[in-house]
Amino acid sequence: MRSKSRLVAVATVALSITAALVGCSSNDSNGASASKDFTFWSFTGINAKADVQAYEKAHPGVHIKLTEVGSSTDTAQALTTALAGGKVPDLVLIQGADLPKFVENPDNFVDLNTLGAKKIKSDYAPAIWSQSVASGGQVLGVPTDVGGMALSYRKDLFAAAGLPTDPAAVSALMPTWQDYLKVGKEYTEKTGKPFLDNAETSIFYQMIGQGSQQFYNNKTRKLDYDNATIKTAFNTSVEAVEDGLSANLTSFSTGWSAGLQKGAFATIATPSWMLGSIKSNAPDTSGDWAIAKIPGSSGNWGGSYLAIPKRAAHVQAAWDYIKNSQSPTSQLNHFLDSGSLPTTVANYTNEKLLAKTDSFFSGAQIGKIFTESVAGLKPFYVGPDSAQIGTDFQNAIINLENKKVSADQAWSSALSSIKQDVAK
Amino acid sequence: MTVTTSSLARLPRPLGRIRESIPERFAPYAYVAPFFLLFAVFGLFPLAFTFVISLFEWNPIGTKTFVGFDNFSTLLTDPRFWNAAGNTLSIWVMSTVPQLIIALGLAHLLHAARLRFANFFRMSLLIPYITSVAATAIVFAQLFDTHYGLVNWVLTLIGGDPVNWLAGRLSSQFVIALMVIWRWVGYTTLLYLSGLQSIPREMYEAASVDGAGGWRQFTSITVPSLRPIIIFTVITSTIGGLQIFTEPLLVNPTPALTCGAARQCQTLTLYLYEQAFGDYKFGYGAAIGVALFVMVVAIAAINFALSTRLKGSH
Repeated sequence: MRSKSRLVAVATVALSITAALVGCSSNDSNGASASKDFTFWSFTGINAKADVQAYEKAHPGVHIKLTEVGSSTDTAQALTTALAGGKVPDLVLIQGADLPKFVENPDNFVDLNTLGAKKIKSDYAPAIWSQSVASGGQVLGVPTDVGGMALSYRKDLFAAAGLPTDPAAVSALMPTWQDYLKVGKEYTEKTGKPFLDNAETSIFYQMIGQGSQQFYNNKTRKLDYDNATIKTAFNTSVEAVEDGLSANLTSFSTGWSAGLQKGAFATIATPSWMLGSIKSNAPDTSGDWAIAKIPGSSGNWGGSYLAIPKRAAHVQAAWDYIKNSQSPTSQLNHFLDSGSLPTTVANYTNEKLLAKTDSFFSGAQIGKIFTESVAGLKPFYVGPDSAQIGTDFQNAIINLENKKVSADQAWSSALSSIKQDVAK
Repeated sequence: MTVTTSSLARLPRPLGRIRESIPERFAPYAYVAPFFLLFAVFGLFPLAFTFVISLFEWNPIGTKTFVGFDNFSTLLTDPRFWNAAGNTLSIWVMSTVPQLIIALGLAHLLHAARLRFANFFRMSLLIPYITSVAATAIVFAQLFDTHYGLVNWVLTLIGGDPVNWLAGRLSSQFVIALMVIWRWVGYTTLLYLSGLQSIPREMYEAASVDGAGGWRQFTSITVPSLRPIIIFTVITSTIGGLQIFTEPLLVNPTPALTCGAARQCQTLTLYLYEQAFGDYKFGYGAAIGVALFVMVVAIAAINFALSTRLKGSH
C-alpha cells in the first residue's frame, strides 16, 4: 500500500507540473472581466498611466489594465509574438516606424471602419491617417500624436559666430537645406566646430520626409528608392559630412548626450517629442536654446497609433477609449499637459495651442512652429521595407562619418545593402 | 495465537506482490519525469520546431510558405551571415584565450600561502560576474566613447590619438571581448583556484627537493593536475562565446541590431535576432539558429576529441 500512495503522490506532482505548464498559456489571467474593462499595452516613458487614470476617473466603472511593455520597439515585438500565438491585449499603442509591417498584415487587427472610424476620419490630418490604412482599405489605427519638426539651435553659439539669434531671423536665414548648408559652412569656418549633431537624422531623414514620395511609388506601391528626391537628400548629407559640419554623434548615443551638454554642435533637427530628451540630457543648457522653422518647412518623425488586435476580447470598450481619448478636445488637453502634438486638424488653428510656449527654449512658440510643420506634410506611401531602406541609407552616412567608406562609394554601398534587404 | 493469525493475514499474497511491484518499477521514472517533461517542453520541442520553421518562409503575423532548404542555400551565399560568423569567432578567440590565461595566473597568485586578506580577494573576483550584463555594456560604451570616453581621454593625455573604438571592426570587437573577459575571469579563476587547492602540497615539496624551479613546477605539476578543469572551462566558454548576444546588442546603441552601421560587431545570435524579430523573417532566423547549432556541436565534438586524447596522454 505504501508504494501505491507514493505513486499517487508522484502522479499528483507530475499533474500539477503539467497544470502549471498549461497555465502559462491559459486565458484566465485576464484582469479585464466586465465588458467595460479592457487590457492596454503602451510604452514606458510617455506617462500612459496618467491618461488611463484620467479616463477611468471620467468613466466610472471602467477599469483599464495597463501594461507598459517597454520601448516602442519592445512593444511592437511583444505584440508580434502575441499576434503569432499568445494572449493579445484589447488595445495597443504602435509607433509610426513599426506600423507598416502590421499594416501589411491587416488580418491581425480589427478593421476600425466596422466600429465607425469613417465618422471620425475627417477630424484627422489625412497624411497621418493614411499611414494606417491597408491596401484593402481597412483602417488599423487612430493616430494619437505626430512628431512635427523644428530646428533647435544654440543662441549663445550662434551669437558667438556672428549669426542672428532671433527665431524669426534664423527661420528666414535658412528656408531651404542649401541655405542651411551655407550657414553651417560659415559657422564651422568661423568657430572650427561642427554645426549639427549628425547628418543622417538632422539632414537625410528630414529631407526624405518632405517630398511627396519616399521609397515607394505612391500609385503602384512598388519600390522606387533610387530617385531624385532621395539622391538630393543623400548628397546634401554627404556634403555636410565632407565639409566637417557634422559632429558625427549618433542620436541618443552616449556621445550625443554629452555633446548636448557641452555645446559640441549648434543645431539639431528636433521632433516635438525630442524637446523632452534635450531637457533631460542637458538640463544646464536651459535658456541657451531657441527654436526656428525646419529648413524645407515641413516634417514628421515618430508619432503613434492606437490599434485593436483581431482576437481582442473587449473590442467595444477599447474603441470607446480610442474615440474619447483621441477626440479633438482630449488631444488638445493632452498637448497642453504634455506637449505631444495632436493629429486632429481642428487643433492646428486652436488659439490655446498656438499660444503654447516653452521657457527652456527661450520661450519658443512650440505650438505654432510644430503645427505649421505638420500642415505642410504631403501623404506618401510607406511600405513594408521603408524602415529598412531608411536604415540602410542612414548607415551609409554613418559609415561615411566614421570614415569607413568614401564619399563616392557611400551611395553605391547603400544601394547594395538595400538590394540584399529587399531581395530576401 | 490471535497475534499470529492477524500478522499472517497481513502478509502479502504472492499475487498481490507482483501487482504492487509494477508501481515500484515505474516509480523511479516518475521521479525523474519532471526533468524530462520540462526538457521536452522547453528544450527538445523548441529545438525540433526551429528546424521545422527553418524550412518555411515564415512571417509570424502573416503567411507561412514551405520552401524546403531554400533558407539554407540563401544562408551559404549571404555575406552578412559569414560576416556575423567571422565576428563571432574572432570575438570568441579574443575573449576566451586571454581570459583562461589571466584566470590561471590570478588563481596561482591567490593560491600563494602568504597572501593577506585572501578571502577578500577571492570574493571580490565575483563582483563582475554578479553585475548585470546590461549595466556592464552601458558603462563600457561610455568608457570607450570616441569623443568623451575615459579611455580616449587617457590616450590623448599620454600623447596618442583618440580612437573611434566602436566604429572600427577589430576595435569594437576588442571592446566586447574585454567585457566578456572582465565578466568571466573571476568565475574561471575561482574554478582554477579550487583545483589548485586539491593538489597535495607534498608534490611541490618533492619537486623542490628534486631541484625544480617555479616555472617547472607550474608546467609539470599545476597544469597537468588542472587539466580536467581547464577542459571544462574551455568547453563552457566556447558554448557561451558562440552565443554572445547582450554585449554586442547594447554596446553600440544605434543601430543596435546590427551592432553598428557597418555590422562591424554583429554576432550570429544578433543577426538571428535582427532577421527574426527585426525583419519578421522567422524562417531565415531559424535557419541561422540551426547553422549555429551545427557549429556549436562541431566545435564541442572537436573539444571532446581533444580532451579524450589529453586524458589518454595523462
